[in-house]
Amino acid sequence: MAFRILSKCRMFQNIINTKIPKNLRSDGIHISTVHRDLMEFFDDKKNWAAESIKVGRSWNKDELRIKSNEDLHKLWFVLLKERNMLLTMEHECLAQFELFPNPERIDKVEESMNNLEAVVRERNKAYYDLEVGESAERPGELVTNMLGLNFFYRKFEHLIPKFLNKKWRKKHTFNVVNGNIEKFQKYYREKLHNANRKSKNRDTNHVMHLMKRFPNMDISAVQQQYPSVNIEKIKNYHKTRGHYVP
Amino acid sequence: MSSRWYPIYQRGNPQLRVFLPNFWMKLVRPEEKQPKNVVQFKVPTGMTNYDIQNYLEKIYKIKVIKVESNIENGKLRRAILQKYGPIVKDDDFRRAFVTLPRDQEFEFPEVCVTEEQKKRSSEDEKSSKMSGEMFKNYLKKQADRPGLPGWFSF
Repeated sequence: MAFRILSKCRMFQNIINTKIPKNLRSDGIHISTVHRDLMEFFDDKKNWAAESIKVGRSWNKDELRIKSNEDLHKLWFVLLKERNMLLTMEHECLAQFELFPNPERIDKVEESMNNLEAVVRERNKAYYDLEVGESAERPGELVTNMLGLNFFYRKFEHLIPKFLNKKWRKKHTFNVVNGNIEKFQKYYREKLHNANRKSKNRDTNHVMHLMKRFPNMDISAVQQQYPSVNIEKIKNYHKTRGHYVP
Repeated sequence: MSSRWYPIYQRGNPQLRVFLPNFWMKLVRPEEKQPKNVVQFKVPTGMTNYDIQNYLEKIYKIKVIKVESNIENGKLRRAILQKYGPIVKDDDFRRAFVTLPRDQEFEFPEVCVTEEQKKRSSEDEKSSKMSGEMFKNYLKKQADRPGLPGWFSF
């Protein structure tokens, strides 16, 4: 029985596949005339000086992932033109002392563009991992600069190799060891430590004064807000006791 | 990101192609009077004259004869109402004058003035005028009975 139904289905499918050509199965033909002109920098005429303009949401990453590369490329230029248009309109409204209707449109376009770029980046990464065997990201490494502070150095291409490039070597001196850096580091760490210690003391004092003024305070909430303060320790301090009989 | 990270160009190499350009361009009303075929743009400072020409020709399909541009400083101003708060600096930008072919003209459209907007603003004016008159009447009524609330009457 099941086989029969299946075969019927298959027959039906064959009929569909043969009888109806693909290009006729369109849900609503959409034709829009394209005006390539400087007027593309301005909104539709019906939206000029409108009080509010209703628009949809931005493009999701999931929606963009199912698009082909070509479609993404086309969409990028649509978004680029839209952003230019919105920026032009915003600038003109600002110059004429008028309100720019629905300024969140710019953010929506920006978000769509960021999502699109993220998707392209994902694809690029996948391609490089599979075909090249290297990371698609720009190479870089964590290095120590002249002050002994760590930072991420983003590498870039040079015409002259490193050992011949005197100018580059003069400019980029990483991971140097001499007495001065250690001395600077010592003072710098001391400064950071002092800042940390002072902020801790400030918090403790503040909590002590709070406890003095509000004896029935919720201690757990205070502990949550000031996690560095040792409340058990300061409970019996003289500063925490107010002018009342305990 | 590798798609935004181009190899340096050396003579003889194939021409570099830009994928997903992210330059913005604003068409602005010129401050000074310009010839009819000159259009003024604001663009990011990183853009060159060639970039501007290619951008307009390839993306907007506009024929460009000449591009002249210079970098301008962003304005220094007060953050709140140009008067209060900290001093802030607007972003620097590049002002570009693009010359179209001799037979083309471009006039900056009146984007902020339409019939609907005129009607709306006239209605707003009318209502504000009315409320002003009502307040005047109220003051007149209160002139000979100081200290009494407005609703108190026989």
